[in-house]
Amino acid sequence: MTDAYRLENINVSLQQKDILSIDHLVIKAEQCTTLFGNNGAGKSTLLKLLAFTHRPTRGDISLFSQTVSWPLTPQQRKRIAFVEQHPFLLPGTVYDNIKLALSLQNIPASQHHALIKKALEETHTAHLLKQNTQTLSGGELKRVAIARAIAYQPDILLLDEPFSHLDIDHIEALETLIKSFSQTTGKTVILSTHNHLQGTALSQSTINLVAGKVTSAPLENRFSGYLRQQQFFTEKLVIETTSNLDRAQQLAIDPKQIIISNQPLESSMQNCFSGQIIFISEQATTCRLIVDCKEQFHATISLESLNTLKLQLGSQVYLSFKSSSVLVF
Amino acid sequence: MDYFTHSLAGAIGLLASFDPAIYQIVLTSILISLTASIIAALLAIPSGVAMALNQFRGKAFAQHLLNTLMAMPTVVIGLLLYGLFSRQGPLGPLGILYTPTAVIIAETVLIFPIMMNLAITAVNSADSRLVPTLISLGARPIPLAIQVIRATRYAMFAAVITGFGRAIGEVGAAMMLGGNIAGSTRTMTTAIALETSKGEFQLGLALGLILLLFAFVLNMSLSLLNRSNYD
Repeated sequence: MTDAYRLENINVSLQQKDILSIDHLVIKAEQCTTLFGNNGAGKSTLLKLLAFTHRPTRGDISLFSQTVSWPLTPQQRKRIAFVEQHPFLLPGTVYDNIKLALSLQNIPASQHHALIKKALEETHTAHLLKQNTQTLSGGELKRVAIARAIAYQPDILLLDEPFSHLDIDHIEALETLIKSFSQTTGKTVILSTHNHLQGTALSQSTINLVAGKVTSAPLENRFSGYLRQQQFFTEKLVIETTSNLDRAQQLAIDPKQIIISNQPLESSMQNCFSGQIIFISEQATTCRLIVDCKEQFHATISLESLNTLKLQLGSQVYLSFKSSSVLVF
Repeated sequence: MDYFTHSLAGAIGLLASFDPAIYQIVLTSILISLTASIIAALLAIPSGVAMALNQFRGKAFAQHLLNTLMAMPTVVIGLLLYGLFSRQGPLGPLGILYTPTAVIIAETVLIFPIMMNLAITAVNSADSRLVPTLISLGARPIPLAIQVIRATRYAMFAAVITGFGRAIGEVGAAMMLGGNIAGSTRTMTTAIALETSKGEFQLGLALGLILLLFAFVLNMSLSLLNRSNYD
């Protein structure tokens, strides 16, 4: 499998503040990749870079193993389609918008009719053909923008929060569309979402973004703070780590690495905090807990342990984890 | 006050009588201002769009220069062009001093910075997603500029109307370069200046009324354009 994108030493900063900082990132072609991250994590910025509508402050991006120089060649442009979180449609009708995209991509006029029809059918927007874009609802606008993007048959489809503003029927239809698009030979989809379940179900690989950085860390149990001599200071707690990365500002702990007990444990684990269970949710074979020990920790335990330990909402418990299971970045 | 009402009645009478001399002056004014506006628009809108869409060294300086040109007194433009077109001037042999052409050139020079500035503002105040969207849809520089002008057409038209309004009401450069020659370069503004100094207050007032009417119609169309801009 080839690489759709390869990013090296990318930095995007605005007024001296780093918005995105990626040392190395490869996004595979011919599959669906999901970008996860909270608001402000840099998902949209990364997508704009991948769409080549914004230039990084520094760094290189290659597209299908070709180094990209500005402006892009028409062939490179035609391979990429980008649908922003709040897409912009030009004044005029839906038809005008898609027709314009096809003309700008130098697609012969003789093919326009068939391509417009196909794109509108795939996005269930055929009835909107002659409608003025000013009169579209939020969801319709989004679907039309997707129709406009896929009309010129790009190889890469970039979607920023594609499911926001859509009702359940259209979310399902869009999921089907994304699946069938990404399963077509040679097609790549990269989408951003903060909905973990949806993203994981659709994609073969995921990229986690935290505060403008790509991380392999889980997105739960994440705390901001600073590191001094292997101790990480959050606002309210001091967590022992094994890291010497002094510029680190984030810490994450895999919920599966947290051990819950009724009594303080005498063990090699350096981190032990007492707290109160404030949330319990049972899933198939596991159980998720949120324990409040000044900071809130998510922990995953088995249903069996839940029963053995007789855990209930409000129970006082101890949670422990190894300093080596803490990720700092 | 009696003098004023009496003159006003006389002025309205003059307009109602369809005096060909008056309408000749109005027509000259319109022709000169319209030609100047069209030429200035053809130059200023593409330049404004190009400047707004591109980042280049010295852009801030160019913007300052443009603002300075906008504030330049019209008699100074008249003076400089007079120097160029007068018999001893570098362009003297063309013999265009005291012709409508000279006035058109002066008005064009006068309103170009205004139109260009408004064109820049039009692009800068367009939806911030417009340009990235067009670029991602594959727009190369020229098609991009065309689509940006299309999307901001109301604001661009408003720029042209503003320029036309400025040209038709201008007196200093028109007087210095046109010479207020009846039937050739006598515009409404230069005629008002002349007739008033001759004591023909009624005729001046009649032309003034027409100028006011123009100002009213132009402003009205500007506010209509503004409204359709936001619909």
